[in-house]
Amino acid sequence: MRKITLLMLLFSMATFSLWAGGYQVRLQGQKQTGIGLIGTPFAFGASSIFYNPGSLSFMKEEYSLSGGVSAINSNVIFREKDSDYIARTNNKLSTPFYFYGATKVIDDLSVGVGVYTPFGSSTTWDDDWHGRYLIQNIALSAIFIQPTVSYKIKDIIGIGAGLSIVLGSVDLNQKLPAPVNGEVNLNGKSTALGFNIGGYFRPNEKFNIGIDYRSNVNMKVEDGDTKFTNIPTALASDFPPTGKFNAELPLPANLDFGLSYQLTEKFLLAAEMNYVFWSAYDSLIIDFKENNETLQDSRNPREYSNSLIFRLGGEYKFTEKLIARAGVYYDPTPTNEDYFTPETVSLDQFAFTLGLSYLPVKGLSIDLSYLQLEGLESDKNYSPENFAGTYKTRAFIPGIGLSYNF
Amino acid sequence: MKYRYILFIGLAAVLFACQPELDDFSTSQGSADFSTYVALGNSLTAGYADGSLYRTSQLNSYPSILAEQFKKAGGGNFVQPLMNGEYGILPGKLKLGYSTDCLGTTGLSPLPSNGALDAITPLGYQVNNLGVPGAKSFHLLAQGYGDMAGIGVYANPYYARFASSALSTVVGDAIAMMPTFYTLWIGNNDVLYYAIAGGVGDTITGQSTFTFAMNTIVMGLASTGAKGAIANIPDITGIPFFTTIPSNGYVVSQNQADSLNMFLGGYGFHYEAGPNYFIIEDANAPLGFRQMVAGELLLLTLPQDSLKCAYWGGFNPILQIPVAIPGQYVLTNDEILNIENAVVGYNATIESLANQYDLAYIDMNAKMQDLSDEIITNGVTLNAEFVTGNAFSLDGIHLTPMGYAYIANEFIRGINSKYGSTLPVVSLTDYQSVILP
Repeated sequence: MRKITLLMLLFSMATFSLWAGGYQVRLQGQKQTGIGLIGTPFAFGASSIFYNPGSLSFMKEEYSLSGGVSAINSNVIFREKDSDYIARTNNKLSTPFYFYGATKVIDDLSVGVGVYTPFGSSTTWDDDWHGRYLIQNIALSAIFIQPTVSYKIKDIIGIGAGLSIVLGSVDLNQKLPAPVNGEVNLNGKSTALGFNIGGYFRPNEKFNIGIDYRSNVNMKVEDGDTKFTNIPTALASDFPPTGKFNAELPLPANLDFGLSYQLTEKFLLAAEMNYVFWSAYDSLIIDFKENNETLQDSRNPREYSNSLIFRLGGEYKFTEKLIARAGVYYDPTPTNEDYFTPETVSLDQFAFTLGLSYLPVKGLSIDLSYLQLEGLESDKNYSPENFAGTYKTRAFIPGIGLSYNF
Repeated sequence: MKYRYILFIGLAAVLFACQPELDDFSTSQGSADFSTYVALGNSLTAGYADGSLYRTSQLNSYPSILAEQFKKAGGGNFVQPLMNGEYGILPGKLKLGYSTDCLGTTGLSPLPSNGALDAITPLGYQVNNLGVPGAKSFHLLAQGYGDMAGIGVYANPYYARFASSALSTVVGDAIAMMPTFYTLWIGNNDVLYYAIAGGVGDTITGQSTFTFAMNTIVMGLASTGAKGAIANIPDITGIPFFTTIPSNGYVVSQNQADSLNMFLGGYGFHYEAGPNYFIIEDANAPLGFRQMVAGELLLLTLPQDSLKCAYWGGFNPILQIPVAIPGQYVLTNDEILNIENAVVGYNATIESLANQYDLAYIDMNAKMQDLSDEIITNGVTLNAEFVTGNAFSLDGIHLTPMGYAYIANEFIRGINSKYGSTLPVVSLTDYQSVILP
């Protein structure tokens, strides 16, 4: 039975990795989403808590509230190497949401709190799909709660900082290959801390510069639940029905730098770069509390690389009550050539966005957004398990939000 | 107006077509013609597994898997001499079960699995899979090999089921199918039967006999104009049948080692505390028995209770005598060398035939070596580990459906490479291996 130990390396799916790569979509404000997910060079009010705490202090009214929800509909298609086998994901709709509230303490000092879900998705493959020994399905959620303070100096410079309390959970299923032919479920929760600091510079009314740094958040699952099912009697002692595991995964730091310029009275243009410190994701280690000769801890290489995202967007003000937005961006995959797993189908992505705000009464804005991501067709391999094929992805994400400033 | 309407629908389609698409795999036959495919070979071609040829194992034979892929590129119907039941025509099927050994220890091992056998009667129809368990190279040319009246004497019951007449030959029946494509994998038994008899009780087919037989077979098939693929012979000593029982499994204490060395040390025996080489019969040894040496192999058929409780391979402390393992359970290095030399010669013949007749040449020797070492695909690991290695069935010689799928893929790769076809491979994850209780 020694060789089963090797088979156990199949714990190759990341518990959290859907937070990774292409699924780190910053749907934390419908206005920002509409304009190519650019956020740092704007002062749209309370949603600055996420995008740039530095610009929060530039809120115009005494109170600012903002909330919204998006519907992520993402699909992956996979064709096995040298084979006519094709599989598609059967993903459930996932619905990241956000809510922010902020107030001015004094004219130059604002405080607020945001609750948002920047990472959360699900990938579901069919039960008998050919990658079932790598991942069957995975569901993740992470809720960030971020109290924030922001201060501005002479209406030119704003600085701000927030502390993020991150509540995460994961649930995943994987089949165990022959001769085990069973299944495993891992389910765990984690709590972690991070921070978000930003600076906002407005040299004149037309030109805005934003810079923001969101820290790495190290998500640790301690004493997560392991469930083994359909294990042959002959191996029952090696795979106890219930057990515990530890695992951790870094949610990488982001450094964002953005510019916006009011070209004409009606037309604004913006650009942003995000540097994502993905190299923090080196490997996924599942540490089973009870090991035996067969059930060993599993160490799965990921070896992500840092990535740089480019965004371009524009806003056009038709009337005081109707504003349209559009944007594009390119998000290169942080994944490693040799360690591309179907639990995180993160390809080089091209995306475009559309947005619309309607302001029926003073202070109230109804914000709509649409984001479409195209993962570019690419041949990939997870070499430790020799799982190779061609992937392509598409996600379309409509969103709706409300903001009220008074 | 109409134009604008179409544009609008087009835009909507781009925006809301939620499913990404990939081109389908493009299957083509290249310069091959798979419309009538016949498979020639032995038990491996028939789909033999778990000590038997039974319906499910036949359905997972590599020719059956190949034929399914051929059908995607113009291949026709593929008829196999299917059994009705799951126990074949002869007893001997194995299943995994619990048994208690002479020491009272209960463990998993292959056990006889008895059920209703198929009758040995003529099927009355032509078959595309002409794999005959037990066949050696020259048997494919032997008249009477399918004679019902000769079963147990000169005929083979598996061939007798589908032989076109009492005097037909396997190759003749294959030619009568008017094949457009064939696969040929024969010659394993020309050394295997010698090997599984422990080098006693069977002989290795001589090189000249083998060469003559192979030449005649391939020449006959070539007369139909069919294209084909021919596979060479794997090094059989790497299969679980020979590698599962360790040759140095005789465990002694320091005291036992000391007294054994005192007793037998003068004859070249050597013992240390821990595992030691077993004692085997050897007519050429001064005592008529000797200790095994590195590289020598024990057969899976060796009764393990005799090792554990009857002092086989060790020393009987009651009678104060060494107990040698009978030669029929042992492959000595001399015997292994005989096998290896024969395989080298056979494979030279097969390769030159492949070149001469411009056939796809499948280096199954290398591919089976890869399999024995370790193949990982889609998260499944295959190797030559007995029971748990996924590749070999419970007889330790023949393959599991997953193992046969691996063989089919190697044929597909070789055929694609030779004929410029693009046949898709199969995924090993779609096939079973040994099921643990």
